[in-house]
Amino acid sequence: MITGYHPLVKRLLDGELSLAQLPPELRAEGEEALRLVGAADRAPVALSPAFEERVMAVVRRHAASPGRRAWRWLNAPREVELRLRVRPWAVWAGALAVAAGLVLLLARPAPSPEPRGGTQQAHVGTRDSVLVRFVLFAPGARRVAVAGTFNQWDRSATLLVPAGTSGVWTTTLALPVGQHQYAFVVDGARWVVDPAAPAVADGFGRRNSVVAVTAQGGRVL
Amino acid sequence: MGVRLGLEGEGTDAEVVRDVLAGDVERYAVLVRRYRDRYARFASRMLGSRDVAEDAVQDALIRAFDRLADCRDPNKFAGWLFLILRNRCYAEQRRRQREGRPLAEGDEAFAGPDRPDGTLEQLEQGRALDLALGHLTPEQREVFVLKHYDGLAYEEIGQLTGATVASLKMRMHRAYDRLRDLMREHR
Repeated sequence: MITGYHPLVKRLLDGELSLAQLPPELRAEGEEALRLVGAADRAPVALSPAFEERVMAVVRRHAASPGRRAWRWLNAPREVELRLRVRPWAVWAGALAVAAGLVLLLARPAPSPEPRGGTQQAHVGTRDSVLVRFVLFAPGARRVAVAGTFNQWDRSATLLVPAGTSGVWTTTLALPVGQHQYAFVVDGARWVVDPAAPAVADGFGRRNSVVAVTAQGGRVL
Repeated sequence: MGVRLGLEGEGTDAEVVRDVLAGDVERYAVLVRRYRDRYARFASRMLGSRDVAEDAVQDALIRAFDRLADCRDPNKFAGWLFLILRNRCYAEQRRRQREGRPLAEGDEAFAGPDRPDGTLEQLEQGRALDLALGHLTPEQREVFVLKHYDGLAYEEIGQLTGATVASLKMRMHRAYDRLRDLMREHR
């Protein structure tokens, strides 16, 4: 059965109270408790005489070990003092250059993937129509248009815009969901099928490119 | 177990640690001499055997040497070494529990040299208390040893172990009750 000490006796053992501060009825219990902790032997515990030499032998061996030496060298913290001599105008010029670089970096438009040839990319626009991007790689062309079932094959209704001097021409149209046939018209006279899209015969000896537009985006057939 | 200044000419802990880190390995013997007996008392009461305690202190001192560069504040080498030894003691206790070998019981007596001024009854009481410590939890044993064998205040024990004073007192008060029962059984 566990018969614990009275809380006041525990405070006596903790050194917070003296025996005289205990109520008389707890003094016997207090004396017994003091005898218990007083039995603790505070004398040093003597280790074997060879202890120091044994430890130092291992220490010397570890100190001489190349691996441990390398690790200690790598792991040892060192104080590094860095001294710079700068002119104030150079500091300001450097700070301005960094700031200007940051502004240019942030103002730069995100690069878009450049098509290598005629491709089509479709994006969801409204519920009934889908934005379809027409791309044709036609270096040297002066004018590029797209004509198809969506603009009654009008060769001048939808012009593509050159993307810089790269030879890439693009335009984006909102097309209704469904299948559309089309072709590019280069310099107003030359009909060019989309090299990145499937094509079908038009019944007149030529071929038309085909794009299928779904609510989820364009699909090239 | 705060900063302990060395004997005259031996330097403070921080000075010795810096010397050793600078390559003077032999200076480490100063720290070995300074802490061996003091920490052997803690380890022997924690582990219940002077021989096992000797191994633990030796391991702790060697491990401390190997990791001396990790001792961020050389002024607190004593506390840092204590934590290494404490971890070693806890690991040894866990190992013995796994092997079904409880501490103290059946172990070689872990009392130090007999007190020449002690009566037979006092010696007997001291040995009984040493054996009873083996029946406390490691946490209860630790706080009892640090307070009543090493003479530290709760605040100092808290600094060493990282525990709060309130939790240390709770452990200690449970230890008092348990020891009372064990000592009564001994009689």
